[in-house]
Amino acid sequence: MNLVVLYLLLVKATLTSFSGLASLPVVRSDFVVRRQVLTDRQLSTAVAAGRIGPGPNGIYVVSIGYIVDGIPGACAGWLAMITPAFLIIPMLRFLGARAEHPRARSVARAVLFAGAGLLASASVPLARDAITNPLSLGIFAVSFLLIASERLDSLWVMLGAALVGLIAFQF
Amino acid sequence: MARPRFTPVTNLFLRVGISVFGGGDPTIAILQREFYRRDWLSPEKFAIAFGLARLTPGTNVLAFCAATGWYMLGIGGALAAVLAVTIPASILVVWLTRAYDLTAHSRLAQSVANALVAAAVGTMLGAALLLVRTQSKRGHWLKPVAISLGSFLLAYLVKLTPLQVITAAAIVGFYWVES
Repeated sequence: MNLVVLYLLLVKATLTSFSGLASLPVVRSDFVVRRQVLTDRQLSTAVAAGRIGPGPNGIYVVSIGYIVDGIPGACAGWLAMITPAFLIIPMLRFLGARAEHPRARSVARAVLFAGAGLLASASVPLARDAITNPLSLGIFAVSFLLIASERLDSLWVMLGAALVGLIAFQF
Repeated sequence: MARPRFTPVTNLFLRVGISVFGGGDPTIAILQREFYRRDWLSPEKFAIAFGLARLTPGTNVLAFCAATGWYMLGIGGALAAVLAVTIPASILVVWLTRAYDLTAHSRLAQSVANALVAAAVGTMLGAALLLVRTQSKRGHWLKPVAISLGSFLLAYLVKLTPLQVITAAAIVGFYWVES
């Protein structure tokens, strides 16, 4: 597949969605159903690879690009993933001059607190998948306490968790 | 609020990009905490970046990174943030795509991945608590608690989308202005 076409198809999928995996139906329609350059199994592999690794869920489009056209395809997928992100900058420029008004500050704080509620809500399904035994419950509780008490850099929390997972495997 | 230098900002996005598992929400939670610890970004700017990222097409967390990078260092900061948070993770996802059949059945990889996701969940909840606690003015806890709890219930029980929840919170914030 032509790299420009690959990029345009993937950027169309990312531009018409508002979260990482929401672009999946468009990707499936274009790549699996219409053009038949991917199978459903390959699509599932791409989604799984994106979820196993670090980074956003939307990173699966890099994997799609790689499956379709190797490393150049992965680059096209990466470019399609990051392109829409920069649309936020004109919006920030527009809002910048108006951000100091008391009512604007109140709206911003309300959005911030909503963010805390949304984070808590998003953690529930993840918790159901991740906390399945006493060890994962312990990792969850220690991570929560360390982050909430600001005692440790988050990198060390993650590295510590990986180490515990590694040690747990030995037993 | 000190203006941060380019290298430490890029380093932060780089290490968050390669060390945070579980998708965009844990990434935002950890970035929020690290910005707060370093005094790099005001709560108001964080809130604008967070809210607008939900309105931006594509992967929300990348729009959030572009916005916070732009606030701290201009257009160079936006570029550095997005590139740092995506390039190493993209290289890794290509490798994982190749190795998927191997890693999907590897108990060692699963053990480590499970531990990382459990830590990501703890991190998200810790960051949510920190967000409310640090941004609540002394004696003014009702608005933060009401909006946070209300947003949680709207998202979790009523199943509103994040965009709808943020819009509802913005309307509340517009009419409920604290002195």
